[in-house]
Amino acid sequence: MKSFSSRRAQAIVVAIAAGSLALTGCSENKGTNTGKDSKKDQKEASVQSKAVTYADAAGSTGPAKDVAGAQSGGTITVYQEAGLSHLDPGQTYVSDAGQVANLLFRRLTQFQEDDKGNVSVAGDLATDSGKMSDGGKTWTFTLKDGIKDAKGNVITSADVRHTVERQFAKFIFDGPPYLQTWLAGDKYAKDYRKLLPGGGFDGKHLPKSVLDTPDDKTVIFHFDQARPDLPQTLAMAGYAIVPTKDDTKEKYDKAPVATGPYKIQSYKNGKSLVLVKNTNWDPKTDSVRHQYVDGFNFQFGVTESTQTKRLIADQGDDKNAIQLTGGVEATQIQDVIKNPSVNARVTKGYQPYVMQLTFNLDRVKDLKVRQAITYAVNSKSLIAGEGGVYGGDVAPNYFAPTLPGYEAKYDPYGRLATPQGNIAKAKELLKSIPASEKKVVFAYANSENGQKRKVAIEDALTKVGFNVVSKEVDAASYYEQIGKLDNPYDMYISGWGQDWPSPGTVVTPVYDGSQVSDGSPNYSHVKDPKVDALIKKALSEQPTEAAKTWKEAQHYLMEKVLPAAPLWYTKQFQLSGSNVGGARYGSVSSLIDINHLFLKKS
Amino acid sequence: MTSPAKAEGSGPSVALEPELESKPTPAKEEKKLEGRSPGQLMWQRFKRDRTGVICAVVVIFYFVVALGAPLLTKLSGTDPYTLYGQDPTYQDTPVLDDFGLPLGYFGGLSGTHWFGVEPQYGRDIFAMLVYGMRTSLFMALGVTVLMMVTGIILGLIGGYFGGRTDYWIGRVTDFFLAFPQQLFFIAFMPVVTAFFVDPREETPTYFRALAMLIVLWVLGWMGMARLVRSTVLSLREREFVEAAKVSGASPWRIVRKEILPNVVTPILVQFTYTLPSTILTIAFLSFAGVGFVEPTPDWGRLFANGSKYAEQDPSFIFFPGVALVIFVLAFNLLGDSVRDAFDPKSGR
Repeated sequence: MKSFSSRRAQAIVVAIAAGSLALTGCSENKGTNTGKDSKKDQKEASVQSKAVTYADAAGSTGPAKDVAGAQSGGTITVYQEAGLSHLDPGQTYVSDAGQVANLLFRRLTQFQEDDKGNVSVAGDLATDSGKMSDGGKTWTFTLKDGIKDAKGNVITSADVRHTVERQFAKFIFDGPPYLQTWLAGDKYAKDYRKLLPGGGFDGKHLPKSVLDTPDDKTVIFHFDQARPDLPQTLAMAGYAIVPTKDDTKEKYDKAPVATGPYKIQSYKNGKSLVLVKNTNWDPKTDSVRHQYVDGFNFQFGVTESTQTKRLIADQGDDKNAIQLTGGVEATQIQDVIKNPSVNARVTKGYQPYVMQLTFNLDRVKDLKVRQAITYAVNSKSLIAGEGGVYGGDVAPNYFAPTLPGYEAKYDPYGRLATPQGNIAKAKELLKSIPASEKKVVFAYANSENGQKRKVAIEDALTKVGFNVVSKEVDAASYYEQIGKLDNPYDMYISGWGQDWPSPGTVVTPVYDGSQVSDGSPNYSHVKDPKVDALIKKALSEQPTEAAKTWKEAQHYLMEKVLPAAPLWYTKQFQLSGSNVGGARYGSVSSLIDINHLFLKKS
Repeated sequence: MTSPAKAEGSGPSVALEPELESKPTPAKEEKKLEGRSPGQLMWQRFKRDRTGVICAVVVIFYFVVALGAPLLTKLSGTDPYTLYGQDPTYQDTPVLDDFGLPLGYFGGLSGTHWFGVEPQYGRDIFAMLVYGMRTSLFMALGVTVLMMVTGIILGLIGGYFGGRTDYWIGRVTDFFLAFPQQLFFIAFMPVVTAFFVDPREETPTYFRALAMLIVLWVLGWMGMARLVRSTVLSLREREFVEAAKVSGASPWRIVRKEILPNVVTPILVQFTYTLPSTILTIAFLSFAGVGFVEPTPDWGRLFANGSKYAEQDPSFIFFPGVALVIFVLAFNLLGDSVRDAFDPKSGR
């Protein structure tokens, strides 16, 4: 019986496989105490939330302070899961392209961080962080001498003007909208592009009453209301300089001309990007960037799981590798933590995002229902789905730890004391609610993560007596679907992070009633006159007074309006190779500080 | 792979007596006592095949477990929906550490959690497995039976009648074969849901099950039809069929009594391959977000989730994995044994 013996062999193979599996799983897991570690994170984040200061001319002149122990040479490998969507600075709003832009492009101003994590705004192309006059309505910038692009052309105020003007062109649509809308003012509030439909390419320029360039070195912005945050806005990658002579319109997205310490040698979309030194970059003019390594070698299409495994193994080229925006894969976090030599190579901190369960205020009109849900949700189980303690922290309010004005102790719904939900309190609130209002429709992205969140939300809300109807939404168009004004859902999980360290970049887009429209991040459709008034007030105030107004706005929103239940703060947990020096968490990017890196042995 | 059931020397042994000796199966090489029906012969041979019997017991056991899932979980006192690691009610008995991995030995094995708990949420693996088997087994069984029946009927008709009938059935088969099943499903499911289900009502689980059943059925019968057709095509020209025709038997009778018994072998083999692969297809669908969604327990999804923790918590994949391996193995071996019993000449 030949067939029988081969069956027996099969059985043996199965038994061996099963046995080896059993052996590996047979040690007791007593649990590790990670509570202390996560408390430490919170303390570190308080540095991040300090208000930004504005540097003067002395603080804006280069060269940048040397990184301790730094030396030159070598090439850093950078891993990233998905390809970059844009390289054109005007189109850069997402953090992966933003990180690359930090190496490639210079702006009028830039963020400068010291070793303690204090952030200031320094002049980049400008000699300082800008001179404000007329109560914040007028800003004047003077350009530094001897700044050239990678082709050797000197950058003048005309290039700055061109950079601003091209933001109005049709082919720039993915970048940050701040500067354009501010320049357009109330007159063109509906469509800022009407201010300059040609984008400066047809010979027409912005009127001098908006943007003035009296000489080659001076740029003056005029706004119709005070814009005290302008230096921080201009420090965004989206407003990096595009020299007039180099601009190739749509094609610029594939082959931009560098102004920073590195330039593009070759770029294969979605596969690789090789950066080499830009010899026309003068370190004496730059107070932040370094040029330690000879180049960067970006590899796209490497999954987070593979990145993590390679960096843990730390072999060969991977010793010189970093992760761009990806982090350690959630399931492998404990492999990193439990191995001290690997754990030493971690860069971690908070991401700027607050994940919240947003209520559709057009549908969930009863404040008591919203309060009951806020009491009932189980933040801990949601965080468990993100990778546990290192994946996120319970959020008691709407301000992330990275935001100036963050209050760790402000917790009106007792989220910190009962992260798993205050069932008794929620039930009590629900007593007087009719059954018809207890039916809530929850929309979730139909992905693996989305389904996990669904389980957690359903579980928590059903327990206090809600009738949860879960609707799956296609994961790729999730934000588009919940962004529709007339969406049929009652609540959905959404996240938002600051664009620069000011609550203005959180409260304004997410809670301003005038911004309620299809696709706007005001997913809860809050239209509260008091909130709108507070936002308007804070935006025209100086940072210290503004901070008080923002605080008032948040407290009012949390206690009286409650457009969303805060769920958790997301965390960043990145790994770099053992030969990479100077790795630190960048407070502004919330990622590894890519301008600060060198190789220990090249 | 399978040749037409009968090799040689098997003409219609006698005239077409109704029940007993009617089948052209190789009755003569057996003991010469008095006549046994082929079914009895098969049963006798099958009983002698030890592997076959063991596998049959295993397969039956799986179906019993799947049927008795609610009783079994009553015994263990767990259910597949409670998040034992996250629920404040179970705070005094922690099952997960800070990384969301099970505490204790072998994935949190304990008196309450017989097979341990799932990482992150701490749901009971035993309960999830038995309930998941229930969903997957019965879905797969339903789909496979429907596919088989359709395939056999169309294959028989096409193969037996030939000519224009065969041509058109063949083209229809080709047409359906051209559909990429899984892609079609991903495109089709949201449309159907939007059409039939109110946007403020939850998509009912039976609706998902029915949609899956129909689509997998409509797009899955072609292989079977082709296989049966080709077998029937060669059988049609055989002497015993000719003889039946000459003696005036109706086409229905010929198909039923002469041809069908001879295609049982390939059908059985095909069935034993299709059922496990259907389980995996259903698992894929719930992964692509068009099948069952969390928290409906699903065997395939449980297995797939387990594979993600293969390094950190190997015991998570252990029980669902071993259960799946044993089931697929037992089912395939059972199929082999049944085929051997029907037709001892093949496969040696």
